[in-house]
Amino acid sequence: MSDRDIIIKVEDLKKYYNGGAIKALDGVSLEVKRGEVIVIIGPSGSGKSTFLRSLNLLETPTSGRILFDGSDITRKGININQYRQKMGMVFQHFNLFPHMTVMGNMTLAPIKLLKKTKAEAEEKAMELLERVNLAERANAYPSQLSGGQKQRIAIVRALCMEPEVMLFDEPTSALDPEMVGEVLDVMKILATGGMTMAVVTHEMGFAREVGDRVIFMDGGTIIEEGSPAEMFDSPKSDRLQSFLSKVL
Amino acid sequence: MGRLSPLELWPEVAPEWILNLPQWLEDIFYKFYKCIIFDDRYTLYFTGLRNTLILTFLALLLGIALGVVVALIRVTWDKNGAEMRGVPKVVVGFLNSVSKLYLTVIRGTPVVVQLLILYFVIFAASRNKILVGALSFGINSGAYVAEIIRSGIMSIDSGQMEAGRSLGFGYVATMRHIILPQAFKNVLPTLANEFIVLLKETAVAGYVSLQDVTYAGNIIGGNAYDYLFPLLIAAAIYLILVLFFTFLVGKLERRLRNSER
Repeated sequence: MSDRDIIIKVEDLKKYYNGGAIKALDGVSLEVKRGEVIVIIGPSGSGKSTFLRSLNLLETPTSGRILFDGSDITRKGININQYRQKMGMVFQHFNLFPHMTVMGNMTLAPIKLLKKTKAEAEEKAMELLERVNLAERANAYPSQLSGGQKQRIAIVRALCMEPEVMLFDEPTSALDPEMVGEVLDVMKILATGGMTMAVVTHEMGFAREVGDRVIFMDGGTIIEEGSPAEMFDSPKSDRLQSFLSKVL
Repeated sequence: MGRLSPLELWPEVAPEWILNLPQWLEDIFYKFYKCIIFDDRYTLYFTGLRNTLILTFLALLLGIALGVVVALIRVTWDKNGAEMRGVPKVVVGFLNSVSKLYLTVIRGTPVVVQLLILYFVIFAASRNKILVGALSFGINSGAYVAEIIRSGIMSIDSGQMEAGRSLGFGYVATMRHIILPQAFKNVLPTLANEFIVLLKETAVAGYVSLQDVTYAGNIIGGNAYDYLFPLLIAAAIYLILVLFFTFLVGKLERRLRNSER
């Protein structure tokens, strides 16, 4: 495997709070290949969200390095905004901009940051909206949408920036059960289309079906990783076994 | 020939039918004449209205500008100060201390005293009452606006900042395009209230002989030896301005509320 294939490389990432009293991340190393779908699972408080949020530096690591496409984004004086454009992020609570329409949400960043014209940005947004069957909601405000619709919009909003990687932070945890499917379907289509994805989730079915690799975290470290079949059918560590026995 | 008093002029200027009215009714017309028409006194109200509006408008602009800047400094320090390092930490920390001092001093002293200090001490060389007045009321209003806007920014979910940053917007751009528009909408009723207070507060501008609406009422009352009409007129002018302003804010609020519901 050449280095060209690796889009994200994490080296011994640590995140401490209160001067080391709380170790949210305690030495995590990981390589993500282009086109790979990584699913991160683990009990709450295991550091999986902190890890995901560190990848685009929404959390500032205490130590360690993150290489994105070969460049160290944790070094001093770097323009992180430029790298964040290449890493779309989807949040548990959607975080749509409530004062803007769906179209406004989707075109703000492309117009301001990619310097697209309004027409170009809207054309791209419309194309994406059609792919998630929400074209007719283009002029709706977020408060007029269901949870599942909001999250699908949040996904396509991130896609409008044409990112190379998509990060998902428990994208279905805040949804009513009947809306989980529609969001997972969109994520599946993305994965099939070759998007590099890192997904923190409690949806074990999704992890098994869509994930190329499953990472199990606990206590701020990676306890075990492997293909979905290995992880779910023959877990090696006690902690993964006990975790799976509770969630499956 | 000395100038004729309004009482001497009254029989000549009053139409016949008014002079034939019962005494108490005629008195009302006479007072009206004395406080408004005689000696072109109505022009004083217009001058006063103009000055009050200019004063309020300039103070409003300055107050909002100051308020937004101070609010941003305070929020930036409160939310990110702990994670800052080096030069930014020193700069923002210093600006935050200055802002806090500004808020404490301005909110802790009466606006009249601030006005007098600015006019008679700091800008003693300047005779431009409107500008000094606007500066004074603007600096005063800015302190209150800052706290209003700060509360508006603090009320926005931190996920909004994260969403903006995750798309690649910088801190300032996220504030400008995402946080501030929402914060403004949330605090608009409170801000409108502050502007109404500001409008009425400019009534103390007479302390430095700035000819505003109150000053006009006061002067005319003194000249006419009759304060009732002049002060009622001054009060009515303020009331109409406030009602008009409330109406405008209501309209703006309804437009901004489009996105809810």
